Amino acid sequence: MNSPVAMRAHLIEARDVAKSFGKTPALRGASVAVSPGEILAVMGPSGSGKSTLLHCLAGIFTPDRGEVRFDGQRLDTLGEAERTKLRRTAFGFVFQFGQLVPELTTADNVALPLLLNRVRRRAAYKTAQAWLDRLGIADKGGNRTGELSGGEAQRVAVARALAVGPKVIFADEPTGSLDSLAGEKVMDLLTGLAREAGTTVVLVTHDARVAAYADRVVMVRDGQVSGDLGAAGAQVSAAKAAR
Amino acid sequence: MLRLGLRLTLRSGREALVRLWITAAAVAVGVALLLGVLAEFHAFQANANRACWSCTAGAAVPSPLPSRGELWNDSVDFYQGQTITRLDVAPLGAGAPVPPGITRLPGPGQYYASPALAALLRTVPADQLGDRFPGHMIGTIGEAALNGANDLVIYIGYTPAALAPAAVSPPAKHALATPAPAAGTTWVTSIATAPPREVFTPFFRYAFGVGVLAVLFPMLVLISTATRLAADRREERFAALRLVGGTPADIRVIASVESVVSAFCGAVTGVVIFLLVRPALAGAALIGTRYFESQLTPTAWGYLAMLAGVPAAAAAAALISLRRVQVSPLGVSRRAKPKPPAIWRLTILVLGLALYLYGLSKTTHKSIGAPAYPGLLVTMIGLVVAGPWLTSVASRLFGRLTPGSSALLAARRLAGNPKGAFRSVTGLVLAVFLGTMVGTLVPAVNAAEVTPSEGALTNVLRDSFGLGLSPHAGARLLAGLDAIKGADVYPIYAPVVTLRPPAGSGDGKGGSGSRGPAGGPGGGNPVSKGEQGANGALVGTGPSVMTCSALRGLGVLGRCAPGLHAVEVSDGNLYDDNPMYNTQPIASASSPPYTGDLAKLNLITVLVRVDRPATLERVRTYLAVNAPPADFAGGGTAPTPPRTFGETLQIRTARAATLERIVYAAAALTLIVAGCSLAVAVGGGLVDRKRPFTLLRVSGAPVGVLSRVVLMEAAVPLLAATVVAAGIAYGTSMWAFVRLAPAGTAIPRLGSDYYYLMGIGLALAFGIITVTLPLLRRMTSPGNVRFELALPG
Repeated sequence: MNSPVAMRAHLIEARDVAKSFGKTPALRGASVAVSPGEILAVMGPSGSGKSTLLHCLAGIFTPDRGEVRFDGQRLDTLGEAERTKLRRTAFGFVFQFGQLVPELTTADNVALPLLLNRVRRRAAYKTAQAWLDRLGIADKGGNRTGELSGGEAQRVAVARALAVGPKVIFADEPTGSLDSLAGEKVMDLLTGLAREAGTTVVLVTHDARVAAYADRVVMVRDGQVSGDLGAAGAQVSAAKAAR
Repeated sequence: MLRLGLRLTLRSGREALVRLWITAAAVAVGVALLLGVLAEFHAFQANANRACWSCTAGAAVPSPLPSRGELWNDSVDFYQGQTITRLDVAPLGAGAPVPPGITRLPGPGQYYASPALAALLRTVPADQLGDRFPGHMIGTIGEAALNGANDLVIYIGYTPAALAPAAVSPPAKHALATPAPAAGTTWVTSIATAPPREVFTPFFRYAFGVGVLAVLFPMLVLISTATRLAADRREERFAALRLVGGTPADIRVIASVESVVSAFCGAVTGVVIFLLVRPALAGAALIGTRYFESQLTPTAWGYLAMLAGVPAAAAAAALISLRRVQVSPLGVSRRAKPKPPAIWRLTILVLGLALYLYGLSKTTHKSIGAPAYPGLLVTMIGLVVAGPWLTSVASRLFGRLTPGSSALLAARRLAGNPKGAFRSVTGLVLAVFLGTMVGTLVPAVNAAEVTPSEGALTNVLRDSFGLGLSPHAGARLLAGLDAIKGADVYPIYAPVVTLRPPAGSGDGKGGSGSRGPAGGPGGGNPVSKGEQGANGALVGTGPSVMTCSALRGLGVLGRCAPGLHAVEVSDGNLYDDNPMYNTQPIASASSPPYTGDLAKLNLITVLVRVDRPATLERVRTYLAVNAPPADFAGGGTAPTPPRTFGETLQIRTARAATLERIVYAAAALTLIVAGCSLAVAVGGGLVDRKRPFTLLRVSGAPVGVLSRVVLMEAAVPLLAATVVAAGIAYGTSMWAFVRLAPAGTAIPRLGSDYYYLMGIGLALAFGIITVTLPLLRRMTSPGNVRFELALPG
């Protein structure tokens, strides 16, 4: 995994990444690699650094030490403009909350990254409507996000994340504010559509049932990736059985 | 990105629209007020630069009369406290210069009047006004000759013979029928085109500058506050945009578009409001002149500055506010935690006060020490700089001394952001400072002009006749005055004496004295200046004499010793134009008795007490017709028209009253703008804190507690800084008054105008806060909780 050949085989990789906030260390030399089309779940207790790792992988944070590569390219040394462009063109995000613009309608929100990417207006809204349709919320296109239920709002976020045709979707506790049924529906859609499109997903969660949707699970403890649990099939079965 | 910015601004739901309109409304009020000040200044400038035809200086009238130019006699008169500018004119040949506002000179027996005077002449009975002006009206005087719509001006035409001085063409004087304003007539060949050299023009220009600053500063605060309206909520949205790939430049564009759109809407609305209120503003006569509406307009640059400058300022404010935060894809963080304001913030205030007090130490009864002016400005800046520190200290004290959860929450928030808390009340504090200063000084200055006896003479008119009317003419005049209902007449007589015999004719002994001609200020009996008599002798008047019954009737000018019929009076001060002197007693128990025959003395002055304004004008008209002031003026000097002691005081205090009006207007404008700022700040603060307030309410805090938090957050900085500002202003003004006023003058108290203005201002401020409280109740209602706590689900 650490050989140059292996590194090129990974779509995204973090090596010995450290990140502190003031005097508080969040990551202390975390390393992880994600293959193209893979769905990776990052688990760990609260405060373990799993969200910080995700933000470093997505180029939102720049690590204090170590390196992050995306598609063979150093992400941590890129300037803010290039990282912003990557977020606009190659990455999609689904967070627990706060990612939608409340003043815009559902369709506006889904079309927003396309519009920022200079896609023509008509094409952007056509794409947005198509994704809303696939996510079963076509009738909500004119609603503002404040008028949606939690599950609907997360589906809008998934639609927006997928609309740009990203290489990676970063999802941070995407079901954290949802009940189990709504959460399951969102995860079914997110992982199903990602697999269909061959999109890589990096998923942070503390919920084993959510992690069960992943191809592989890694554990983060005290700012380090402490274990690769490998294929998650067993956990999926266990989690589904538990439901 | 512009389109997205416009979309976010205009079509983002009710909350965004409300924010847009609140911002636009606040900016509109500020723009309308600023345009009003600029318009007033423009009108003032236009007037100050207008050709002053009444400044025309003529030459002595040659004898014989030349055949070019014109005879020119300009004077003033009064009607109901308003000044009438009167020009008596007679052309001497073709091509005589024509004063502005008319196309040709009035012929003999004709006159032109300004529109305001023409209206008066149509409505007021002739014996109260119209009879003063011989002839009939042939037209109105145009704007070119007038300062404003309420100017009372008249151009009256004569034949050269009727207007020429006696030496050139003796008119029929004291005929008690023919008005002939011959004295004071000059020969004019060209009319002055230079602007008037008004002593107060630079002062008013400076005052307007200060006024513009006084409105501009709170208005910038208003724009800045309005631009940051609900900033926290907007910044969250910017973070969401950054998450999906929006660049910092995109965020700046969106933020600027929002600010520019709302500011532009506000600027346009402000222009419309200004145009709607312009007629009312034209009638307001802020500095004593009711300007023509056509003059009362900002320049094209003024409009352009509003329509372009205000949105630009708003965009700049938005960009500056963005520089203070780091908008990351995960949210918004402050670039630096604001440090609590330190005590050094008092430095500028202390320096300003020191400079001001140093200026006052150099102040005498005659002039204000120069350092006092910059000292005042620095003190005002110091108040603004020290405000956050005062807020911080007050909030700490408030939190420590006041029990209850509301006080705790308010004190914590104030301590956390004292600068922001003070910013919203800055304008109010400055208004209180300026208002207190003027409210203390102006009534004090006015009080120094008044004596206790002035009130008793307010409705007493005084008219003087130089060397006096002959006993016969005097008796006829008095009889005529006596016939006017509601007028009580009190004459002053004096004998005519020879001051110096004709050259080479005798011993040079003169009379015991005389008084000055035409009611000029004299030093009391005996007075000095005489006139050349027909035989070359210098003649004057002897001691003035009044009957004891007349003195009793007037009441406050002194009394005779018991048993006397008439006494000699020391009436020199009576002719001063300062009520501090002209209302002093002129007789006492020790005044020399007069035992001669009053019927043989000249009538030199009449004092007439009138019962109502119509009687006053009737008396004045009678005197203007039967004893025209110009008959008694010295050659070339403007005659003094008859006026009451009250009018004399009114003229003297007019400047101070105008100053008071300007500053109160500035303070009122500042209060309005500051009130808007406060409304925007409080409303915006509520929107920003929708989530924590909702959480508090959900967790059991009653709405009353939250309302008290909002009230306290505004009240603590406002009251703390207001008390300090008012205290400093009152204290320093008092000292200024003590330095300026004559010794022994009573310390004045703040007038009712002050308390009304300040009371209304503060009530307005708290009213505005109270109006936002229903918003708080609705905003935090349980129905909204789901979205607040589980956003976006």
